[in-house]
Amino acid sequence: MKWPSSKLGYTVAGMTVLAAVLVPFVLMGLFTKGFTKLGLHVDEMYSGGPTVRTIQEDGYTVTIHKAVYPHLLQTEKPFVQLDWKPVNALPQHVSDAVDVDGDGQPDVRVSFDVPKDPKTPLRADVDALNPRYQAMRNVGKRKFSELIVRVDDAILVRIPLTGR
Amino acid sequence: MGEAFLLGLASGPACVASCGPVVVPSLLAEGAGWRLNARYLSSFLGTRFLGYLLFAAIAWELGALVSPPPAVRTLMYGGIHVLLGVALLWYTWSIGRGCAHACAGSGLVNIGRVGKRGVSGAAVLGFLTGVSLCPPFVAAGLRAAQLGSIAAALLFFAVFFVATTLWFVPFVGMGCVRRNASIVFVARTAMVLVAMYYLLAGIAMLAGRRIYG
Amino acid sequence: MADAVCAGLAGKTPPRTWSRALLLTLPIALWSLFMAMRGLMQPERSLQIASGLTAALMVVLFYMMMKTSSTYRWRRWFFVALGVLFPIGFIHNVMVLRGSMGIPIEEMIAGRTPFCFLPIPLLILPAALTKTLVFPGSLLPGGGMAGAGMAAMAGLWLAITLVVGKGWCSYACFFGGIEEGMAALPKKAQWKKLDPRLRLVPWAVLLAMALLSLALFEPAYCLWLCPFKAVSEYVAARNTVGLVQNGIFVVLFGALVIVLPVLTKKRTQCTFLCPFGAFQSIFNKTSVFDIKIDRTVCSPCVLCQKSCPTMSLTDESIKKGETLMSCMKCGACVDACPKGAAVWHIRGTQVAVKPERARLMFLYAAWAMAAMFGGSIITQGLATILQRVI
Repeated sequence: MKWPSSKLGYTVAGMTVLAAVLVPFVLMGLFTKGFTKLGLHVDEMYSGGPTVRTIQEDGYTVTIHKAVYPHLLQTEKPFVQLDWKPVNALPQHVSDAVDVDGDGQPDVRVSFDVPKDPKTPLRADVDALNPRYQAMRNVGKRKFSELIVRVDDAILVRIPLTGR
Repeated sequence: MGEAFLLGLASGPACVASCGPVVVPSLLAEGAGWRLNARYLSSFLGTRFLGYLLFAAIAWELGALVSPPPAVRTLMYGGIHVLLGVALLWYTWSIGRGCAHACAGSGLVNIGRVGKRGVSGAAVLGFLTGVSLCPPFVAAGLRAAQLGSIAAALLFFAVFFVATTLWFVPFVGMGCVRRNASIVFVARTAMVLVAMYYLLAGIAMLAGRRIYG
Repeated sequence: MADAVCAGLAGKTPPRTWSRALLLTLPIALWSLFMAMRGLMQPERSLQIASGLTAALMVVLFYMMMKTSSTYRWRRWFFVALGVLFPIGFIHNVMVLRGSMGIPIEEMIAGRTPFCFLPIPLLILPAALTKTLVFPGSLLPGGGMAGAGMAAMAGLWLAITLVVGKGWCSYACFFGGIEEGMAALPKKAQWKKLDPRLRLVPWAVLLAMALLSLALFEPAYCLWLCPFKAVSEYVAARNTVGLVQNGIFVVLFGALVIVLPVLTKKRTQCTFLCPFGAFQSIFNKTSVFDIKIDRTVCSPCVLCQKSCPTMSLTDESIKKGETLMSCMKCGACVDACPKGAAVWHIRGTQVAVKPERARLMFLYAAWAMAAMFGGSIITQGLATILQRVI
């Protein structure tokens, strides 16, 4: 890149020093806001997808997320995430039939124990009442598309879709 | 067939992104000039098309076009990954042996022989990516399976393929990138890294362990 | 290399008087104090002391740069401190919050994976094509380890890069100091003959990892190759492949960050692997500051080439009177040159005419960034140590 003159060079150098002073007060905030305004979102394989519905149960809620489909060569299966919240309002053993697609018919029955110690690993069983969803037996947290985990005040279950 | 074309157009970016790790470094490693790059892409896409049709025909005959059982699909996928890794490494080595960047206007780099004719690396890679069961391919397969006959299914795949191919045309422009020893070295090293990934992924699948689960 | 770098031989800018050096240091002293204000006003004694020590360190080092007219060896103290203290502060935080350096899947789902600058070039293609960030973090500030969020880190990176370009690798990177420290340990390099083509490997890593990140929709470099997971955090292995990934980073860290820098006296991870460094090299084309070789004065003794920690000077580039794109503006070659042929330079100006002015302007900008960003990290690391002691 050829620069036309020394004056331009020194001017730009001076502006660079000025920019350095402005970084913590102006530039960093400006660029950060700029990035947030780009409309980017974290991959739903991690975040679980946007919320679709919330079902009120006895003292707790079951939140249903939109189904997440893998991009390109991602090796995960498509899945739907369900959240049980708050954890301290859950019974010792949860066994809920959930209408995932909102057609009035239960699609899956999810069963898991809620241990008192939050560090105890969770295990879930899922019976597929609708062939669109995959049954699971004694599943832990092996992969993003098929798991049960505790995140903050909620227990998340991800059920893979069979593609039927 | 309009549906096939539209599905292909919509899937094109996914095809390009899936094939990107193979196509981009290997295009860079070949000689400069848009004509040579066009020949590379023709060879790559031609055998990719062959792979599509071959898979479609075999799967239709086996009645497995809808979806092969997961265990079979994992084994196939794993095997193809391993072959792709091996092909990339062989291709990288062949480029080093040849004089692709030094000989202006030379042909494509060959990595094997069939009879008296050399088999270009582009052709081998194209065929392997063609049978690699990438998601757009599977989506097209599911739709084609609903058609009445194998001829209709093959035609569906062909039209789908042509539409996805349109997205590869801009890669001919990579021929304008000046080639020198540094560019070729970078491209070859990138191919080795990509090959390592495919080998590891393929071996993991064949060993019965999915990559992350 | 160390002797040549530190010698300050004939043909160079002479050392300044202490009063003149102090005067030139004044702006940086005020800046460092201002940056330390937040820490000094905290109730925790450890944080107050750490902030004060950090400000003092930055001021003293800058003063020495002004007094001796030498850049590299003083900058190196800051950079090694940054490389050593970052893992201390970070790992401590991680252990307190999670009890482990391994990131469990829960934290990734919660978007609490801390975001460092290394994956930035890998996220560009997926973000540009699908508006998706293929990193398990949070865009906005979140709780726990998410810190300022991905947007803030990206904003900080862009702002600092605008100012220093590839100088990020010498004044901001909180990983490079470890290998720079290891490279400084021996007096002489055991391995002197290095294949110059290895300099190109970071570009190959950048190309391969960017394409794989797009195809696989994941931060491929972070998962497969980043050696600095050994001093920060890593994905807790849930399967055999996870174990293989973790094994790879341990081997790469040992080889490229510990052993090879000692054997070669080069920053081998930066020179032979880092794709972020390759990406930052692009900004050297737009940066107004660079380093030139005055061919009317150059012998050539190639001491500059031997002293460069990233092999950014070759016989051809010296003949052309310039450094390669990979130059990190660390100042090693300028300090090593006995004739004063290697000089700081502002684009558009004449080579070797008032090079000290170019050096001053660059150092004001770069050191301001170092005090702001690196200084805060050094403060955290020091505070972590002082908490144990006080």
